[in-house]
Amino acid sequence: MKRLMVLVTVMTVLAMGSWAWAADTIKIGVVGPRTGPAAATGKAFEEGIAIALDHLNAKGGVLGKQVEVVFEDTGGVPEKAASALEKLATRDKVPIVVGESHSSSALAEIEVANRYKIPLIICEAWHDDITKKNYKWVFRAGPVNSGVVDFYIAPFVKDNRFKKVAIVRENSDWGVGIAEKTETDLKNFGIPFITLKVERESKDFYTELTKIKGENPDIILAYIYGTGLHFFVAQAHEVGLSPKCLILDGAGPPSLWDTFWKNVGKAGELELFMSSMHEKVHLTPTSRKFWDDYKKKYGKDPTDYKTRSIYNVVLIAADAINRAKSTDNEPIVAALEKTNLEVTTGIVKFGLKQGTYEYHQWMPPMLVVQWQGQKQVVVYPKEAATGALKKVK
Amino acid sequence: MGNKQQAGTAKKVGIPALFIILAILPPFFLSQYWLHVMIISLFYVMMASSWNLIAGFTGQVSFAHAAFSGIGAYASGMVAVNLGVPPWLGILIGTGVAALLGLGLGYLCIRMGGIYLSLTTLGFSEILRIIITNEDKWTRGTMGLQVPGFFSEYSKANYYYLFLVVTIFLLIVIYWIVHSEMGLTFRAVLNDELAASSSGINTIRVRILAFTISSAMAGLAGGLYGHYLMLITPDIPSLGQMFLVLAMAVIGGMGSFIGPIVGSFVLETLSEYIRIYGEYHVLLFGLVALAMARFAPEGLMGIVGKKWRKEWVH
Repeated sequence: MKRLMVLVTVMTVLAMGSWAWAADTIKIGVVGPRTGPAAATGKAFEEGIAIALDHLNAKGGVLGKQVEVVFEDTGGVPEKAASALEKLATRDKVPIVVGESHSSSALAEIEVANRYKIPLIICEAWHDDITKKNYKWVFRAGPVNSGVVDFYIAPFVKDNRFKKVAIVRENSDWGVGIAEKTETDLKNFGIPFITLKVERESKDFYTELTKIKGENPDIILAYIYGTGLHFFVAQAHEVGLSPKCLILDGAGPPSLWDTFWKNVGKAGELELFMSSMHEKVHLTPTSRKFWDDYKKKYGKDPTDYKTRSIYNVVLIAADAINRAKSTDNEPIVAALEKTNLEVTTGIVKFGLKQGTYEYHQWMPPMLVVQWQGQKQVVVYPKEAATGALKKVK
Repeated sequence: MGNKQQAGTAKKVGIPALFIILAILPPFFLSQYWLHVMIISLFYVMMASSWNLIAGFTGQVSFAHAAFSGIGAYASGMVAVNLGVPPWLGILIGTGVAALLGLGLGYLCIRMGGIYLSLTTLGFSEILRIIITNEDKWTRGTMGLQVPGFFSEYSKANYYYLFLVVTIFLLIVIYWIVHSEMGLTFRAVLNDELAASSSGINTIRVRILAFTISSAMAGLAGGLYGHYLMLITPDIPSLGQMFLVLAMAVIGGMGSFIGPIVGSFVLETLSEYIRIYGEYHVLLFGLVALAMARFAPEGLMGIVGKKWRKEWVH
């Protein structure tokens, strides 16, 4: 009998793990990589969240309560991402989740969000299917592969008269998706290209670079996310490909991480990258406020634009809860669909037409930036440019 | 190591029956989150107990157990995605494929035995991981293969009962094997291979048989796991997963029937509490497992058994 009592006690203790205390805060769930090859994104997210929370709580919070964030690590891998979202939905019981910067992780998360009927706003995972699946609970306030390629990368290549393109893509959903879209657009423009695939966590690109050198392209579209991009840029310079052949980092943030210059050295000069943020480009008053708040808190300028992306989605989530006057899922989705909110990158309005990736999608304007003398110069699109594209003859 | 005792058949049937009744209850009072932890624990019970069948009972330390669960999961997942085979049938196919490959690998390397078996299975496991990770059409590499679940309406309670039934089934099979003639030969091979073979036991055949059965069980567990998560990734056949299973069996008590079961529940629940330390929890479990192997080789059940000395610590 004694044994049985012990067993019962143990099981009771385990059951008490699901402790739920009456909280007087509104909890917003966040998913993103805090470990793994893109851990820097997690850091950028943390900073953006901190500024957003300061901003919201200084104004009295949401529904009269202070706002809090539960940030679950995804490690940048789909299975951890799915379980992170599951934990936010079932253990923390948050009313809404925001974040993510990996498409493969996001594609796993949207299934869980759909299963638990929990609103999810993706900010930096670009795969078309995330919104193309037309899930009622899934929104994206951030770039989408098709948009980035159609409006920025492909026209940039065409307008600057590049003659031959090398596409290097990692084996992730983002890499596969954006490369396919690029191929379609380049075909339509009649610009010749080659595509090479690389492993997501690869550090050695000499084989691929030798092949590329043989093809003699004048621009490489590097769809590699994480520190791998640093190795790629450094090795391309080493084998004598760049700077004659320019490199465009199709994601952007890795070219802005603190470690970039340390890892690439002078190979970083003239490198191009996608971004949605630049010191001199402020589309809204909120953008200016974000910049000032960031400087005040961290004593430096923000670099990784994902800091601002997560800031935006936290604001969007808080705004939706406020207007829904509820933390229930249905009212929040209804409120999100009516979003008309100024964030750092414009006025957010989600698309409502079903059937395409534009459903529940809002994309901020993007920029193509070039490192010129370790300074960021916006070179595309023309109306936002702060300087001309530099090429080496 | 007690043999069949006459300690009262009432107790022998009574205690498992009590456990089964207790096991039916969780969906009625556990939150979704803790039910999830229970389901994952049951997966680990299947993994650790079936690994224990070869490692604990025939002394063959295989590092390919997680790999076989991955084979079961991917085989089932790929036929579901590409051919539309329902998961119910898929997991049987997965189990079959794992059994076949288990038989093949067992046939090739079990004669070597000892450390060589461990090294070969370690290599096998790594090769499999590399293939799965780099292949991005069929297995979808690190992106993960999204697969359908077992039930059209998602319900944690349903999954819990499904896992429970299969786990109990596997445990009964393991219990039966261990207490049958076959189990006796298993242990004979473990205790003294030379003596066993000289008394007429075909030790190689016994070991291959144990290896195949155990691989098939891992394949079944992996298939269930994959269709429960609805996402199959190279994490399932990873060495990290392998070491977790190993730690569960060692900490719970290798070579005992109850040990791996207890180890799985304890470690899985514990890892939910120490999850904030990220990957370090595997390291911690590794250290505890090492300390256990040195100071308490019979694991938690050995420690408890010393205290209680009762028949259900076998």
